Parts: sequence; C-alpha cells; structure tokens
Amino acid sequence: MYYKMIIGWCLLLAVISGFGQAPAVTGTVLDDYGHPLAGVSVSIKGGKAISFTNADGGFHIDAAAGSVLVFEHPRFDVREWKVQAGLKPTLALAARPLQEKQMKDVPTGDTILLSLMKPERLDVLYGQEDANRFLGSMATTRLLGTTPAPSYLYALPGRLAGLSVQQYSGFRTPLSASLTDHDIFVGDIPINANGAGLNDNTEFNIQLRGHGGSFGQSPIAVIDGVQREFYELDPENIESVSILKDALSNILLGQNSSRGALVVTTQRPQSGPPRVAFTAETGVQRPLGLPTPLPAYQYAYLLNEALLNDGKSPAYTAADFNAYRNHTDPIGHPDVNWYNTILKNDRLLTRYNLNVAGGSGVARYLVALNYMNQQGMFVTSPTNSYNTNADVKRYTLNSKIDIDVNKYFTLGLQLFGRLQDGNQPGVGISTILNGLLTTPNNAYPIYNANGSFGGNTNYTQNLLSQVTGSGYQTDHTRDVMVNLDLSYRFDRWVKGLWLKAKGNVSVSESGLITRSMQAPVFQQVIRGAGDTAYNQYGQVVNLVPAFIGTSWGRYRFVQLSTGWDHNYGDHHVSGMLLFDQKKILLNYDIPSALTNYAAKGSYDYQQKYFIEGAGTYSGYDRYAPGHQYGWFYAGGVGWNIAKEGFLSGEAWLNKLKLRATYGRTGNANVDNYGYFIWRQHYQGIAGTYGIGNNYPNGGGLAEQGTNGNQFLANVNATWEKADKLDLGLDVSVLDNRLQLTADYYHERYFDVMQQRGSAVALMGLQYPAENIGINLFEGGELNLTYQDRVGDLNYFFTGNASLQQSRVVFMDEQYQKYEWNKHTGHPVGQRFGLIADGLFQTAADAAAAPTITGFTPQAGDVKYKDLNHDGVIDQFDAAPIGRQRPVIWYGLTVGADFKGIEASVLVQGAMQREEYVNNSYVDAGFIGQNNGYSQAYQQALARWIPEAAATATYPRLTSGYNGYNFSPGFMSTSFFLRNGDYWRIKNVSLAYNLPYNWVKKIKLRGVKIFANAQNLWTHAAYKGVDPEVSLPSYPIQKVINTGITVKL
Amino acid sequence: MNRIYQLIVFMFVVGVVSSCSKNYESVPLGQQVTPDLAFDPRDSLGKNAMVYLLNTYLQSLPNGHNRIGGNYLDAASDDAVSSASGLPAVQAMATGAYTSTNTNADDDWVSNYANIRSATVFIVNINQVPMLEKLPNGQSARSAYRSEARFLRAWLYFGLLKRYGGVPLLGDTIRQLTDNAQLPRNTFEECVNYIVSECDNIKDSLRTAAMVNVSTYGRITRGAAMALKAEVLLFAASPLYNGGNIDNGNPLTGYTSYDINRWKRAADAAKEIIDGGEYKLMPVFRDVFTTQAAPVGTNTETIFWVQVGANMDVEKNNAPAGYTSAGGKGITSPTQNLVDAYPTDSGYAITDPVSGYDPEHPYDHRDPRFDQTVFHNASLWLNRAVQTYDGGLDKPGGTVQQTKTGYYMRKFMGAFESVPSNPPSYSNTVHDFIHFRYAGVLLAYAEAANEFSGPTADVYNVLYALRQRAGIFPGPDNNYGLKQGMTQTEMRDVIRNERRIELAFEEHRYWDLRRWKIAADVYNAAPLRGMDIQLSSSGQLFYNPISVLATKFRDPQMYFYPIPYNEVVRNPRMKQNPLW
Repeated sequence: MYYKMIIGWCLLLAVISGFGQAPAVTGTVLDDYGHPLAGVSVSIKGGKAISFTNADGGFHIDAAAGSVLVFEHPRFDVREWKVQAGLKPTLALAARPLQEKQMKDVPTGDTILLSLMKPERLDVLYGQEDANRFLGSMATTRLLGTTPAPSYLYALPGRLAGLSVQQYSGFRTPLSASLTDHDIFVGDIPINANGAGLNDNTEFNIQLRGHGGSFGQSPIAVIDGVQREFYELDPENIESVSILKDALSNILLGQNSSRGALVVTTQRPQSGPPRVAFTAETGVQRPLGLPTPLPAYQYAYLLNEALLNDGKSPAYTAADFNAYRNHTDPIGHPDVNWYNTILKNDRLLTRYNLNVAGGSGVARYLVALNYMNQQGMFVTSPTNSYNTNADVKRYTLNSKIDIDVNKYFTLGLQLFGRLQDGNQPGVGISTILNGLLTTPNNAYPIYNANGSFGGNTNYTQNLLSQVTGSGYQTDHTRDVMVNLDLSYRFDRWVKGLWLKAKGNVSVSESGLITRSMQAPVFQQVIRGAGDTAYNQYGQVVNLVPAFIGTSWGRYRFVQLSTGWDHNYGDHHVSGMLLFDQKKILLNYDIPSALTNYAAKGSYDYQQKYFIEGAGTYSGYDRYAPGHQYGWFYAGGVGWNIAKEGFLSGEAWLNKLKLRATYGRTGNANVDNYGYFIWRQHYQGIAGTYGIGNNYPNGGGLAEQGTNGNQFLANVNATWEKADKLDLGLDVSVLDNRLQLTADYYHERYFDVMQQRGSAVALMGLQYPAENIGINLFEGGELNLTYQDRVGDLNYFFTGNASLQQSRVVFMDEQYQKYEWNKHTGHPVGQRFGLIADGLFQTAADAAAAPTITGFTPQAGDVKYKDLNHDGVIDQFDAAPIGRQRPVIWYGLTVGADFKGIEASVLVQGAMQREEYVNNSYVDAGFIGQNNGYSQAYQQALARWIPEAAATATYPRLTSGYNGYNFSPGFMSTSFFLRNGDYWRIKNVSLAYNLPYNWVKKIKLRGVKIFANAQNLWTHAAYKGVDPEVSLPSYPIQKVINTGITVKL
Repeated sequence: MNRIYQLIVFMFVVGVVSSCSKNYESVPLGQQVTPDLAFDPRDSLGKNAMVYLLNTYLQSLPNGHNRIGGNYLDAASDDAVSSASGLPAVQAMATGAYTSTNTNADDDWVSNYANIRSATVFIVNINQVPMLEKLPNGQSARSAYRSEARFLRAWLYFGLLKRYGGVPLLGDTIRQLTDNAQLPRNTFEECVNYIVSECDNIKDSLRTAAMVNVSTYGRITRGAAMALKAEVLLFAASPLYNGGNIDNGNPLTGYTSYDINRWKRAADAAKEIIDGGEYKLMPVFRDVFTTQAAPVGTNTETIFWVQVGANMDVEKNNAPAGYTSAGGKGITSPTQNLVDAYPTDSGYAITDPVSGYDPEHPYDHRDPRFDQTVFHNASLWLNRAVQTYDGGLDKPGGTVQQTKTGYYMRKFMGAFESVPSNPPSYSNTVHDFIHFRYAGVLLAYAEAANEFSGPTADVYNVLYALRQRAGIFPGPDNNYGLKQGMTQTEMRDVIRNERRIELAFEEHRYWDLRRWKIAADVYNAAPLRGMDIQLSSSGQLFYNPISVLATKFRDPQMYFYPIPYNEVVRNPRMKQNPLW
C-alpha cells in the first residue's frame, strides 16, 4: 500500500502572476486519490524559500517564472515543476478543469523515488526512533505489495540483509492434531509445550544471523508493537517489515533479546478525506522442482538391474518390459505418470483488498478488509459435491482508529480479526505427496477395465482415489486481537515527559473437521478368456466425521512506559522506564509469563556524538522459582562524521556515521525442551501391559518424558546467553542518492542448551539439555542503494548481501580418537561423514579397498577414504565434509517508474551453500520405500554400469535400504553433497497507473493495472531438486499474477 | 477536562497492573504426577505404583513375534531368513553388518538400562506405599509386586549378560543429574551370581502358578524366577563362558577356567522345577503357543511369557504371500537347513537309511512338529494347498514379498488349515510370546545332566517325553528312533537337534549357537539353503536345493555384541568387548 501511494501523486498547479521578479505562485497539491494533500513542502530549487501546503492542499510561494519548484512529502515521490510565466495571475485553486489542463502541461520534471529513502523515523521496538539517533543494526523493506502470496514472509527473501528466509514448504500445513495428549492420570497434557504459543508460519525457516527456529531462536515477530506470531497476513496490508539485529535494539525483549525482532507494521491511519482503494488480483500457480519420473519400461529395466546387482532374481521378464514400453497392456502393465495424474497446473491464488482510510485532525482511521483464496495443486473430481483439493480461504479485518483526545492525550484502538478456512484431501496432503514421490509408474493402473480403482497387495491405496475419493479435512482458525494505546505528554509541567500504556488481548482458536473415507482398490486378474476377476485390497471405510479442537490460546500483553526527551541547545537527552508482561495461555497449560522491567537512556551532542545504554531485568516463569530473573544490558556509541566541522561544507556527503553496540542478551528457550523440565515428575502412558486374562489395556506410568525418551529433571536450567558486538557504518552521499549500510557482528553464545559429553546410558534416563555450549557467530552485512532519476524515469538499485559463519568453541565433546573426528572448532551444525573418493571401477579395486563391516563392495560402489588407515571404514573415518566457508545470502532489486509505469525485479540467491541429497528419494533410487521398489527418477539413469563406468555419477543400483552407498553405517558421505548455490528471479512486477484525466472521466480517482510474478526463473548449481523445497514437501510455486486497483 | 483524562490514564495504569494478579498456580498442580503421587504414601491400593509397574513390565518384556524390524530373531540364525527386500535389520545381524557405532537391531544396552532404572525406582519406592492387598496364601502382595520388579530387573541383566558379557550392576541406587553414572563393568561371574541370588531371594514371595487368577494372569510367578535361574546357570555352564572364554583370562567375557560343577548347578536348578511338578507338557505341540497358561487357561507348559493377547498379527505377517485377502506377508522364510533337522515320524534323522525319508516326497512322514512349524508346498492353509513352487500362488515372482526358500513359518499360528468362513479368514488367536516353557526346562536339564553325568536314563526320558508329545512313533522298542547307549557326544548332538526343532522361532537357536560356541562354524559354513520347486506341465514336482544367503560370523569377535561406542568413550571406566 505504501509503495503504491508513493508512485503517483498528482500535482495540480495553478500558476500565475507576473508582477515583479517574484510573483506569487499558488496551486493545489493532491495525493494519488485526488484528495488535497497537506504538509507538502514546496521550495524553489536551489533557493531557500520554503512553504507548506495547507489542509486544502493549497500553497503559496513567491517564485519567478522559469524557476523550478520542488515538492516533497515524506510519503511521496519528490516532484518538480517549472513555473510558467504568462498565465493569469488568478489563484485558481478550485478550478479543477484548469488544474487538469495545467497538469498536462506539467513539464517532465526530475523526481526521486523516495521509497528507498531512509525515513526520518524508524519503526523500532515499541515505537519510533529518530533515524539519526539510532545506533543499532536494522534492515527494512517496504517493497511487499508486489508479492503474490498468502503470507508476507514470501516477500522477505533477498530483501533484508542478515535475515535468511528460506522456504521449506509451498503451502501452509494446518494443525492436524490436537496440541494436547490425553494422560490417563492427569487428563490432557501438552504436546506442544512451547510457551511462546502458536506460530502460524509453516512454510519458512527464518534465521537471523545464522540462528534458526530449531533452538527457539528465530526472530520474534512484533506486529504493531505487540509480540504476536502472525505471519499469514497479506503482503498488501503490510506497510513495512524491519529486522532488528543487534543487542541494543533488542534489549527490551529481555529473556528473548538474543532472538532479534521482526518488526511488522501494518498500514497506519492517515488524515484527510476518505480514501478508498479496492484491489482485485488473481494469480496462476505452478509447482516447481518436481522430479522427472522414469517411464515404466525404464523403471522395470533398472529395477531388474538393481535386483541382479543384489544377487536376487529379476522381477520383470522381457515380455513385461515390452508391454511396458509399447503400452500394449495398460491394465496389467500400466505406465502412469502420477505427477500428471494427480497434479494440476494453473490453480488460482485470488486476493481482494479493500482499504478505507481518512480522518480529521482529531481522529484518523483505517479499515482494511482482505480476502484471499489459494487453491492447491491437486485434481478434483466433478462427481464430488464437495471440494477435495487443498485450499485456504482467509478473511482479515484490520481497523485502527487514532484519536487526539486533546493536545496531550492520544488514544489508539486497533481491532484485528482473521478467519482462515483450509481444506485438504481426506488422507492429508503429506500422505499424498509421500505416495507421489514413491509410487512407480508401473505400480498399478489408475482404473481397471470396469472403472474401479487399480491397486494390488503392495499398493492397497490408489493415489488418485486418495486425492479425490478420500473425503476431505477442513480446518478453521479464528484470531481476534484488540489493541489499545494510550499516550500522554506532560509538556505543560515537564517539557518532554510522556507516559504510554498499551494493553493487548488476542485470542486464537483452531479446529479441524475430518470427513474422511477410504475406497478399496482392485487388482484385475484375467484367469482365462472371459474370466476376469477383481481382487479387492484395502479397507472400505465410509465417511467418518470427526472433530478435533486443535488449539486455543489467549495472549495478553501489557506495557507501561514513561520517558523524557529534551534538547538543551546542542545537548539532547532522553530516558525511558518500561514495564511489560507477555502472558500466554495455551489450551489449559499454566500460562507462561515473560516480565520485563527496563530502563534506557541516551544522550547526543549536536547529533554528532551519540551514546546510549539500556538494561532489562527480565523474568520467565517457566524456570524454577529462584532461577527466573536475570539482567540483560546493552550500550552503544555513534559518531556522525559528516557533521564534523571539517566535513560540514561538503555538500555531497549527507551522512557518514560510525556506530557500535555491545550487550548481553538472553534466550529463554526452556520450553523447547519440555514442560517444566526442572520439575521431577512422572508421565502417564496410554496403552501399556495388559495383566489379566482378557489383556486389559490400561495405563502405565513412567519417569518424565515419553516412553523411550525419558530424561532427568534439569533443576539448573537457565536461559541461554549471548554477548553481541555490532559495528556499523552508514553512508549517504549525493543528496542521499547513494546509501550504504555495512555491519560487522561478533556474537558469542554461551550457556547454550546441550547434552553433556559424559551422558551415559547407565543412568537409565537421558541426560537433559543443560547450559553447556559456547558458539561463536560472526559475519557481515552490506546494503547498497542507488536511486536517481532521468527525466520522468525514476529508478533504483538496492542490493544486500550477508555473510555468516560460526564456530563451536566448546561443546563438552566426548572423547574423539582422531583430530578429524572432533566437532569442536568447526562451524555449528557442521556435517561430518565419510569422504567419498569416486566409484570403484573394477572388482579388483573394490576387493582391495577397506570396507564397512558387513559389506563387500563391488565395482560401482562408492569408495571411501580410510583416514586412519586401519583397513576398515567406520566412525573414525568420519571427518568434516562440505561447507566450512561462510554462507552468503544476497538479493538485488532493480526498479523504475516512468509516467505511471512501474517495474521492479528482485533476484535472490545464496552462495557457498550445500545440499545433501542422499535422503531424497529422488537421488537415492530404489531405497527403503515400498519394500525397496520405490519410484526411480531420471537421476538413476546416471548410475554406474560397466559400459558407462567413466561417466557414472551415481553408484550401481541396488534395491531396498543400502547401508553401504547411501548411508554408510548411518553416516553421511561427501558423495551426496551437491553444490547448493542458486539464484532465482524471485519477484517481477509491472504496473501501469492510468492517467488521472482518463480516470476522472469514469468518476474514479485512480486506476492501476498490474502484473507480477513470484519465483519466475531459477538457476541452481544442482538441478536435481529445487534448491529450497523438494518433495515430499509441498513444492514451491511459480505464481503469475494480474490485478487491478481502483481508487475511489 | 485534562484532569479527568489524567485520571483515566491513571486508572488504566492501575487496572493493567492489578490484572497481573495471580489467578493460576505457578507450577502445574494437576498436569504432572510428582514423585509423591506416583508412590503415594497414603494410598493403600497403590494405584499409581501399580501402573508404574505395568509400564515397567511393558518396557522390559520383549514380544518376540516379529521383533527385529518385523522379523523373528531366529531369522538371524541358520533356521530362517527374512523375505523382505533390501537389507533387513535381521539380515544385517546374520551377515555381521554391525559395529559399535552402527549397532545391530537387537542391541538393547540403552533400553535395558532404562528399564533397570525403572524397575529399581519401583523396588526402592514401593515400600512407602502402604498396600494392604494380600496374596491367596496370606502373604503380602506388596512384597510380591516388589519381587516382580526384581525379577524384571534380573531378567534385564540376563538380557545384557548374554549380549555383552559382564555388565555394570547398579544395585538399588537411583542416580540423578548430579550423580556420577560412569561406572565400570562387573565380571561375568558377579553378574551370574547376582541374577541367581536375586532369583533365589524373590521366588518365595512371588505367586505360584496356581495362585494366578483371571485378574492376575500374566504376572511373574515363582516358576518364572526358577526358570530364569535355570536358564542363567545353563548359559553360565555353556562352553562359551565355561572353559571357552574367547579372551583368555578376561573375567568380563566368561569364567577364566572350566568347572564341570557349573553344569551340575544348571541341572539341579532345572531339576528343581521338574521335581516341583507344577508344570507338565501339553498333549498337543501346536496348542502350546495359542493357549493361555493354566490355571486360567489349560496350558500347563508355559512358565514365563509376554502378554500379547489375541490378535491376527502373527498370521498376517508370516502366513504365505498368496493369502492376500485374509492377509499374509510371508516375511519369514525358514531354511532347508531347519527343514532337514526334522526327523521322520519314526524319529530317525532323514540321513538315516532306516528313516523312510523319500527325497521325491520330502515332506511326507516327517516329525509332526515339522508340519506345525513350517509351511511347505502342499501344506493345507485356509482351505487350500500352499503353493511354493515357482509361479505358484505363494511364490508368484515379481515384486511381491514372498518366500526366498520355498517355506513359510507356521509356528504360533491358530488352526486355520480349514475354516468355515468364505472367503477364508483368520480370527483372533492368543499370541502370548513364551520365553520359558516346560519343554525348554526339560531340554536344559537333559543338556546339563548329559554334560555332567553323561546320557543317563533321566536324559533319555526327557527326549522320550518330548518325542512322544510331538507324535513321533515310539517304535517297536519304545525308543522313539533314538539310538540306545549313545556316547556323551552323540547325546549332545541329539539334544542340540531336539532343542532346535522343539524351540524353533522361540528366540533360542540364535543364542544356543553362541553359548555352544559353534556360531563360527555354523554361520561360516555353506550358504543357507532353500528349495526351488518346479511344477512340470504334467503336474510333477521337481525339488532343487538353492543357496539363499551366505551368513558371516567374525570369530571370535561376534560372540559378544559391542558395547555401544558412546558408552565406552563417554565413560573412561567402561571396557569394550574384545576386538570391537
């Protein structure tokens, strides 16, 4: 929305007056809705005179003919206009026809796209801060509206330096089971013991500076000043997304301050007459990165080859092979491309948005209504009266009212509501995708001759029947959030003293209705002429309705803050005290409460030297009493060199600021390890040993944890900590045309939750995660923006790159026999495994080589390096494999607008990244699935055979689980490491704003037609799978979207 | 006016602050069972303690049916192979594809120590629960329950002992996070003595078999403790540990010298059960495995079993592959090696010319236990003849899981040869998995007695009893095909073969091969065999022996499992087994 407003604002000028050298020029400035726009600064280019438009958009300035007026407003592009002499000296403000005529005459002035300008005020935690005084590290994007997607996270990859947002599923995964489990002794107990509450992001892994969600360390989403994990919001409704990266800017989060904050700001009310915008858009989606299955005859040939390699008898005869190849027996010898059978391209993603904003000086309002419907990629059957395809429908309402009760007292009220209704086939999306990945083309025919679903003893469910004939599941999520903000300025008593209060309540509930069934499958058996039998397999299950309440949550957030902000001449001082508490009540768990008491102070001299400090005393009630509260603190300094006397004359230099912050942050992630893990307790177990002659299956009881996964109580658990240093540089030059932000960070995490190195099984219970590890994360980020204009062409480039590396400093590592076995000192999460040295080309090579116990390698098998030269390949030969170098993430956006035409392209990618593909069924051939007769893909054609020994890229084929080539001794092998580098044209957008005078004729204020695309083109170093999402996850989608925005 | 607004602000502030008042408990009171609730000193029923014990039962007692990745442990011996494709876990065990990091599927170090802890927690804490229940004989039921947990713990140690040799004995200490658990191994001898003394100490406080009723069916009995003692002593006396220590002088892997009296102790322990007269052989071999134990059922032979209950799992997993509608995944393929071990119905080995064995009709006139243990071509099942010839219904070729040897396992299944239902189907059958039964005690006695005092009449009598029950013809001299006046060595071979066929698929053969220290010979002999049967167009059957799997045994390393690698490196006092 923000971005769209930028684009077109109309300048309606009535000019005038030729008396004297500096005649008065008057006119009106309208916004893109054709409404008068107040507060636009009007100045003469190169001159000092300045004026502002009034509430009616009118201005008055003395300017000579031929001089150029510059119009600037924080929310709009800069426009210039050359004063034309010889026009009537009347102030024709109201004369719209004249204005329109005038507008035609507006010369092609220079304009600058302000969208990438750093705004004066930054959206930081719990408010805004003067951009000049901000010392932390932050990245912001406002370029969200062009992303055709169900969630704003889709718009983030490649936009924010330091934040890696990687997709792992192309569709949302609703909760399919209750978050609670029934304990026969104590009733329902939590499964998801995550005290942070529910998170509706099921598609992206969000990592800030290398820290991901797996340890409870992904950034905390702060929506309009409230910590609330809403991700499924339409990008259209988001004004900006920022990521706060360093210790100082996150320190108010207390025990969550290690995680960073993802600050999301939805559209804000604007004063003025009602502005109504309606946008309708529809995109077509197409799954990307689907593997290429082999036709049945190739599959049969390769499976026979694999079986022969295993010393087993082949499964198919020459007649079978020919029948598959020639398709002479489609029932007995089917060749079904399941991808074409159950998937359908060009499913729709439709969105409607209605925005109404406006207000007077006293009250401002915004109402945003949003509807989104995303269809899944499965085929449907016209015979069903109900929908079986995956889809999601969402309705959102966001309304905000800001009221200035009086000069000192403002009140803001926000009401947010969201309804989501999802649907999926009765068996669930994941079952289908798993089946799709593993079912060979020749498994069974889709239909038998009599129209029944095909199947057999190995395949008792038919994929198509699972897609269209297994009923459906619908899920429903309802969220309501109410937010009240009060702010009072005590300027009458103490200049600069203020008090703010925030109260927020949101509730969320979700449920799942399944109406599933199961159709039997039949194998057609022809026993003789005219004697066809159909053997039935699988159960017939008629439609079974069931309802599960999957979750219920209540979130309360209260915050009180008071502060004082004042300038004494060149000295600026501010201070703040803050209390807040986030309380989450999930199902019937004990609410988790995170309480912070914080203080913050800052001082700067002439906006040249800055110093700031903050401390938070923060407590989390899921730790043991007495171990709940701790101190977190941070400080920062800054120096804007551009303000120094020796540089102040340099007009080209707008900003040259050095900044540094350092602090100790925390991460209370105890919930990731269980519910009240410090408390020794026993856990009920459903279904245990049946004593009695009728084997009653009552309950059992065991020490805490689930059966087989029990652990000792961790009485000493505390939060993880980090010492974070951030050094930054901000440079703006050439009238802010070129801007550079660079950051270096050094983050030492300690007390990281890990299992101790001496955890022995003799204890009888697993050792819990304890505060043991020390990890170092280091890296840098660079953001470079250039923007300029040539005539009416506004254009910009903005690129960012992040480089990140890590090192395990201490992990209480168990004894490792050899130096290369040691994990300490390597990057966090370093993959260890066997080093592959190509494939054995001859039987003699294979026989002579060291091997894995129990296996006799043959020609075509992988050759492993025996690092300790003991003649055996085992864990002592496992060494770091793959990436040791830092990963680089980058994004580049290029955009322009010209006479109402807007265009932009985002290219996003990663370098020095690796993928490990052996677990992908696509690369591993006939591995464990479907009794070892899983589907085979194109990759299998490159297997080792004597005839193509030199060109083989995969080992010889074997059927079933292969403990030698594919996961040697359950270890990784460098053989299956692939270059994971990729770049993709993530987003392309094109739009045209119809000229105002056309639009005016049909009584509208603005019309924009646009088209955009997501994931348009991908270059990946390894082409076997999609670099981000591969089956059996729901594939990533290419979306091509068109729409129209009408403004009333 | 402003004062009013200030007041509003103030009240709001007060409101939100006061709303933080307490309205939930600070720790979950009801959601978690705390230790004092689990073993509640006020509960005279011991309700929670009882279910704690039940879970300990569940975790400690393995259900041997298709236990190893869907296969019987016996598929890792020379009696069977798995029909599964790829490399099933049990085949990795048969071919030695495991190490101390990539442990075999039967490695139970971690789970056994977890369960030992579980049992010890019960043993230590049950005394604080004031249970009033009494056994029928008036003794305290609480001490019976406590003894059950001690039995389970002894059983778990025995499981560790036969896999790893001497292991750390933890006693009655329950360690917490701050306690050191880096303990050393006890010797083999200490472990044997500990298990035996535990059995001796608990046996009199346990229920006798007769005291079990419909609601206590499945509880550990006195007989179980005695049978465990006999079994442990039989192991301890066996060649691998008694005189055949693979690591000479290493007390962890066995005794450091031979002592014939260990055989006597084993024989005596078995004899004590026999003399007690509590158990006796069932009249029909097949019914042993599908009948509940006496006195609840009629099975007088079962001593110690795992409660499995009535289901169709065994049939569905192991019945021939052609019974698709009733179910039959045919995962177990018995070998020709096992088939050849069965004598004819006159009791003579098939290699004996007088046995009457006919290679043209190899399945006729065999020991009845053969038909009750193995499906072969032309066995009757669900109203039709099993077809294991090439292209037959039960060996169709293609990718369906099917026999690799021409045989399927029959043992443990209900009597579904002929059923009235159409299409034929199974019904739920009791599949309690028997760990100790009277026949095994008899065989243990015979083996130990033969080793200590030679083939006495007592030894012969055991074999007669088993063969008579099996349905072998006594023959004119009432010898059931047994040669009279065998030497000790001849008798040893006969007992070992009898053990093999009597106890097939009951998780004995795999361990017997090891404790007799013949695993290296057996596994490294010729590949395991199957039978390829061709049906000619004239309806004639041709039998061609085939090789199905070359098993491997690294001698002597594999006589013991490796202690999991992590246990050794994380605990400086933990000594690894030889050669691992």
